[in-house]
Amino acid sequence: MRVISLVAGAFAALACSAVYAQSVDVSAAEALAKKSGCTKCHSVSAKKEGPSFKQTAEKYKGKPDAEAALFKHLTTNPKIKVDGKEELHDSPKTKNEAEIRNLIQYILSR
Amino acid sequence: MLGEWWTNLRTRCQTCSRVTLGAGVFVLALVVAGLLLTAGAAGLAWTNTEEFCTGCHEMRDNVYAEFKGSIHDKNRSGVRAICSNCHVPHEPVALIVRKMQASFEVWGHLTGKIDTKEKFAKHRYEMAVKEWTRMKRNGSQECRNCHHFDAMEPEKQTEKARARHEKAAAAGTPCIDCHFGIAHNEPDGPGPQELPEFQKMKAVKQ
Repeated sequence: MRVISLVAGAFAALACSAVYAQSVDVSAAEALAKKSGCTKCHSVSAKKEGPSFKQTAEKYKGKPDAEAALFKHLTTNPKIKVDGKEELHDSPKTKNEAEIRNLIQYILSR
Repeated sequence: MLGEWWTNLRTRCQTCSRVTLGAGVFVLALVVAGLLLTAGAAGLAWTNTEEFCTGCHEMRDNVYAEFKGSIHDKNRSGVRAICSNCHVPHEPVALIVRKMQASFEVWGHLTGKIDTKEKFAKHRYEMAVKEWTRMKRNGSQECRNCHHFDAMEPEKQTEKARARHEKAAAAGTPCIDCHFGIAHNEPDGPGPQELPEFQKMKAVKQ
């Protein structure tokens, strides 16, 4: 019975992650990232001034508070350090929370 | 051989003086050279047009489709940078070298190396690396043909852009190190700052 529950749980998790992956609107996220100037400092996989989306996804892999942490980072203009100098991190150019969350899911799914 | 040809010419036109004949040959040579140069220049100019570059579906359906709507295609001032502005050197020797290389790339078209979306995606990274390498070696000359550090007005840039540009100008960083994937989709993999060839050069400099 325990084995069956485990297998069922695993299938459910797999199904959820598939739905989760499908739910990301990649082109909308890429368009918002471009419009907001994110790609000036962040690349999907290559080195730029800021960490790549892949590095961010790796950093938050398996962390349940990943979305909340990134939402805070993207919406509160926190201070960041670039070349030893402090500057404010920009926010996405939208007031639509769903669009920001889609961008976060896009980053986390890289 | 040339002497034989000259003797033959003089025999055929015995009434012509040596000077007249020589001048005639010189003028004819100039006309032929002029025609060849004009045809060559016209050919080179033709291969630099947007129509030529997008003549094959490999370019039209992939990189050109991605370029459409980008800042270099459409912007508030209406100034456009077409394929050749960024991918073909303006300097005569470098231009000929690049055209020769490009003629070998036609082989890829003929053999269907990137004739489907999947094949293009498979080779996108290696193609990008080739172009990044070229643009790093020449200090992103094609970018700097239009964008001059000296002509920039830093006070009109954002604080962040100003800081990055000041740092890049001081270090001689090629534009492509940061401004990649702006007209075409970014390939998956290490970027221009991480290319092994330049990592070694950086290590030697340090």
